[in-house]
Amino acid sequence: MITSLANWLLSLDFLSGLGYWTAWGTSLFVVGTLIFIFIALNALILVYVERKVSAFMQVRLGPMRVGPMGTLQTVADALKLLVKEDIIPALADKLLFRVGPFVILVASVVTFAAIPFSEKLLAADMNIGLFYVVSISSIVVLGIVMSGWASNNKWSLYGAMRSAAQIISYEIPVGITLLAVVAVVGSLNMQTIIHAQAGTGNLFYWIPLPLPNWYIFHNPFLFLATFIYIIGATAEVNRVPFDIPESESELVAGFMTEYSGLRWALFFLSEYANATLIAFITAIVFLGGWQSPFADHRGAQIAVSILTGLAILWTLFIRLKAQRLSIYPLALGIIVTLSAWLFPGFAIWLASPGLFWMLMKVAAIIFLLMWFRWTFPRLRVDQLMYISWKVILPISLINLMGVAIWLWLTGDIQF
Amino acid sequence: MARLHAEEMILNMGPQHPSTHGVLRLKLRTDGEIVSHIEPVIGYLHRCFEKHAENLEYQMVTPFTDRCDYLAAMNNAHAYAIAVEKMMGIELPERVEYLRVIFAEFQRIASHLVAIGTFGLDVGAITPFIYCFRERELILDLFEMVSGARLLYNYIWVGGLAHDVPPGFVEKSYEFLDMFDTRIAEYNRILTGNKIFIERTADVGVLPADVGVNAGVTGPSLRGSGIALDLRKLQPYSIYDRFDFEVPVGTGMMGTTGDCWDRYWVRMLEMAESAKIIRQALDQLPVDGDVKSAIPKRIRPPKGEIYFRYENPRGELGYYIVSDGKNIPVRVKMRSPAFCNLSVINEIGQGWMISDVIAILGSLDIVLGEIDR
Repeated sequence: MITSLANWLLSLDFLSGLGYWTAWGTSLFVVGTLIFIFIALNALILVYVERKVSAFMQVRLGPMRVGPMGTLQTVADALKLLVKEDIIPALADKLLFRVGPFVILVASVVTFAAIPFSEKLLAADMNIGLFYVVSISSIVVLGIVMSGWASNNKWSLYGAMRSAAQIISYEIPVGITLLAVVAVVGSLNMQTIIHAQAGTGNLFYWIPLPLPNWYIFHNPFLFLATFIYIIGATAEVNRVPFDIPESESELVAGFMTEYSGLRWALFFLSEYANATLIAFITAIVFLGGWQSPFADHRGAQIAVSILTGLAILWTLFIRLKAQRLSIYPLALGIIVTLSAWLFPGFAIWLASPGLFWMLMKVAAIIFLLMWFRWTFPRLRVDQLMYISWKVILPISLINLMGVAIWLWLTGDIQF
Repeated sequence: MARLHAEEMILNMGPQHPSTHGVLRLKLRTDGEIVSHIEPVIGYLHRCFEKHAENLEYQMVTPFTDRCDYLAAMNNAHAYAIAVEKMMGIELPERVEYLRVIFAEFQRIASHLVAIGTFGLDVGAITPFIYCFRERELILDLFEMVSGARLLYNYIWVGGLAHDVPPGFVEKSYEFLDMFDTRIAEYNRILTGNKIFIERTADVGVLPADVGVNAGVTGPSLRGSGIALDLRKLQPYSIYDRFDFEVPVGTGMMGTTGDCWDRYWVRMLEMAESAKIIRQALDQLPVDGDVKSAIPKRIRPPKGEIYFRYENPRGELGYYIVSDGKNIPVRVKMRSPAFCNLSVINEIGQGWMISDVIAILGSLDIVLGEIDR
């Protein structure tokens, strides 16, 4: 997008005097701003969604007062944070204290440069996209250690030290898990990875189930890898059950203890940006990115009908058992099914790749993360390390080997 | 290369900390994450209960007992009332005894719900806390029906009760009990069987039975170590000898006997036992009887002293009352169960990590209002 925007600017007649670097810089700025706006809006919406999701899991209503159904609550909260007094502790390292939040935010914003939102919509089509995202996102730990150290608070220091240990440990299995997919595709380019997942095929190559060609269904090892990636990535972005760097009940607020106002808001922003980022990576690498799950419009109609049928059965089962269930998901399913059969255009749209499918997959994974957060207790720091080094790392290594053997067996690569 | 200078760090946890259950301050000596010494510093909530009691008439002390352990106000008032009644030799109407037991056991459930919920919160599970408070609200609704208050009731008076229960109370109590079993199953689904929860609590902070007995630990914290010390069974006061209930003890189901998980599980089982007692009491509750008939006009216990032991949700609550025959007690000493339970924190918390100290503290279920008095 940066390159095409720059070329478009250069091709305009009235801007003919524009130098190449000026055009390039301008488009860089524009795209960067767009990404930042996306992240800010995304955080605004996700905070609201998270509060609602947690409320529904905890038999509460959540925010209801500000705006219809409380939708403006996060706007009000953001405004409150903006006008709060900015406190820097007297004995803090002032420079690092100020810089820390920005390092974290920049590291999480910059990663979005390589994330494709749809076939056309991405900031920069890098040939090392996946590598870039994984490497840049680990800069976050630098900011966390900076702010934890600079706060001159023992709780912050504990949080920072835990975070450093945790993120470094989980980088390794996460990287190896992604490597398994790279072994299948033979490319680190995000768009190439998504293009390789087009169409439908058999489950695990042999089992004749008409599932999309996503890598989660490619072979049993990648199926396992998807879950390892989600676990490892959850740990990498410090979310429950791996939120020990900011564990509220132990370390007060971990590395964020001394922060207030806007700086604290920046931490919050980057937290949601990171959660979104891992949702994007999971969607791209394992769930086919912006590819539609349906092969054609006929497939879309049939699949939607089957899903709605299952939903009806499930509703009947749950309704008989627990006597409480919302009718909305069912109604949505029936409406979608009817429209898919009545309006072929809708079914064709469902079967075509695009931004919609990308965002749907991202939303589903973010919901999964929220689900984790509101139902799991927190692990202890040594248990976290145990899981990383003694469970996830060996499994991911075996996985990588398994993928290689699988590729050899199915004839995708020859030695 | 010169060796780096390294030393243990003193970490000041509290008095303002999310998980110290009030205004407790713990001075931790830490080596990295490992805690090598814990020193509880108390007194931030001291309200001179015992000195107050020396200047007030007997019936005026009752509201202050409520405020000691604000999560078990009914139990505290009950214990105090029985102690004074024993000094004066008051015979209570049957209906009063039954209603008192019903309230005491409801209060025990409410208190254990808070203990379990906050324990979940301490190890990072937020949702079970809200679930527990949902049921506690229903119990508080019942208390509000009878006393008008939701936390500090001043309902159990020396010689009787403040009011009789309003119509509809018994039905609502039955309703709650019928629903409560399914809710316990719900807590078990979301918290008890969770692998991470078991990892965090099993084998952690093991309280050996002998250490517990020597330190004066009582209540569910000691029963978690496998000792069936329950004064309702051993020295039945009030009418507890008429009910059929078990005393659950820790068996080390998930790890070692006496670990945090056992203490948690004992509370969980005790809630079901309390519900059983309430159901029996409601079944046997006499329909008539004036709850105020035995309240003496003037409370002047004869010269003498009494020590009365009572099974509070947190352990053995004792009242030592000295009377010189006047209407004001000479001395009211309260043996606080949470105070004795807290005293083992250094013994069982040493060598564990900061996160474990939080879990151990949560499993001891302390209430600072009662420790500081």
